[in-house]
Amino acid sequence: MSHAKTPHVVDARYLEPPEPFVQTMEMLDRLQPGEKMLLLLFREPHPLYKVLRQNGHAWETELLPDGTFEILISR
Amino acid sequence: MQALLSFENAPPFAAPLRFFLTAPLFLVLAGLLVAGVGPDIFASRWLPATLAAVHLVTIGFMLQVMLGALIQILPVVAGANLTRPLRVATVLHLGLSLGALLLAAGFVFSRPALLGLAAALLGLSTLYFLFATARALRGVSSTSPTIRGLKLALLGLAGVIGLGMLLALAMGHGWSLPLAALTDLHAGWGLGGWGGVLLAAMAYVVVPMFQLTPGYPARPSWWFPVIVAGALVLWSLAVLADWPVIVRFCQGLLALAGIAFTGLTLRLQAQRRRARPDATYRYWQLGLSASIAALSMLAAAAIFPTAGDLPGWTLAFGILLVVGGFLPFIIGMLYKIVPFLAWLHLQNCGEAKVPAPPMNKILGDQDMQRQLRAHAAALGLLLGAIFWPEGLARPAGLALAFAGAWLAWNLFAATRRYRQHRVAILEKLATP
Repeated sequence: MSHAKTPHVVDARYLEPPEPFVQTMEMLDRLQPGEKMLLLLFREPHPLYKVLRQNGHAWETELLPDGTFEILISR
Repeated sequence: MQALLSFENAPPFAAPLRFFLTAPLFLVLAGLLVAGVGPDIFASRWLPATLAAVHLVTIGFMLQVMLGALIQILPVVAGANLTRPLRVATVLHLGLSLGALLLAAGFVFSRPALLGLAAALLGLSTLYFLFATARALRGVSSTSPTIRGLKLALLGLAGVIGLGMLLALAMGHGWSLPLAALTDLHAGWGLGGWGGVLLAAMAYVVVPMFQLTPGYPARPSWWFPVIVAGALVLWSLAVLADWPVIVRFCQGLLALAGIAFTGLTLRLQAQRRRARPDATYRYWQLGLSASIAALSMLAAAAIFPTAGDLPGWTLAFGILLVVGGFLPFIIGMLYKIVPFLAWLHLQNCGEAKVPAPPMNKILGDQDMQRQLRAHAAALGLLLGAIFWPEGLARPAGLALAFAGAWLAWNLFAATRRYRQHRVAILEKLATP
């Protein structure tokens, strides 16, 4: 699936843990430098934030009215 | 990768587990107390034995599980890490367990000294927890409704414990305070400001995650904790100023906010993508239905105050909300948290070389569903005992004790299986 913010999207809203984390890390591995990916979830993934911080990724989070958190992560 | 997910932020399993394993024993004690005292315990909410049974359930079971789970879940839902989770868990577990026992004994034996000691112990333990949590949350901004809810729930915890200490001291020393109004307010802070707000803050995360439902819409999620906390602050001021109409207005507002939250959760559950109803789903359905019934009673009594004076009204409200609402929510979550944590720790233990067994090998759904039926039976008997105490009081108490013992058994069995798997995994790793 694609999104206005980026073509690289992991829609993890109906996935059980640890799938959202695993799929996000797999997609981050595939991204080229300068590309971004979008993670969709119904919660804020604080454990993932910590890993992103450790690996030097920047991210922005937006909460949509339907309760979806959009997390835009830079490679 | 998996190890990072599991362990970077996770406190040791022993930290939350001690709370989860001992809490059901307080349900057993509460049930045995009801069975031992018999029909008299249903005569009024003010009897010492009734107060003892209520606090064995609310502090011994509810507060223990809630705080134990928070120690585990703070890093996951708020990115906040307690500095020494195991030490916090050890101190808190001891303080809460002893405090709940002393408080119940103080009520049953009418010993003011025990009540005072229990109040001091519970107050200090909670203060220590609040201090440790506030330190962990320092600098964490409220970027989600869950974090805002969590912070406001901690305010609610301070409120219920503070009022509880005041009441214990007032009863012990015969201070002339409006005890009835303060007791209602104490219950309001406990079940609304602490229990209700914490439940909502956690539900925003765990209901979509474990039951595969849509998310909670953002706007009501932001507002629910604020409305509940605001209504309780106003209720407190109204008690101080002796404005009964404002007190009733606040109770009505709390009831409506609670009904809106439970109704929304029911709607989300109806749209879940997990086809099979598991024990957690069924427990939550029971909890939501009973809560709506209880909150409707609260709304009705706010509009027609004479309803609250009907025989058995307050007891029915309390049993529906606590045994019918909060206990099912909490047990339903325990049935997800304990197998999940066991799986997580086994997964880490296997170092990605030996896979962890699936969660249903740690705790089977059938074991949980059977225990659920025992709990539902206890709820039915307790409600029945309000109207026919002579016949049902003792069976109701025994049923509650039985359901609590079964819960303890299920959780102990899960822990035993976890340990067996752990030994097997370590042996496999040691084999060249």
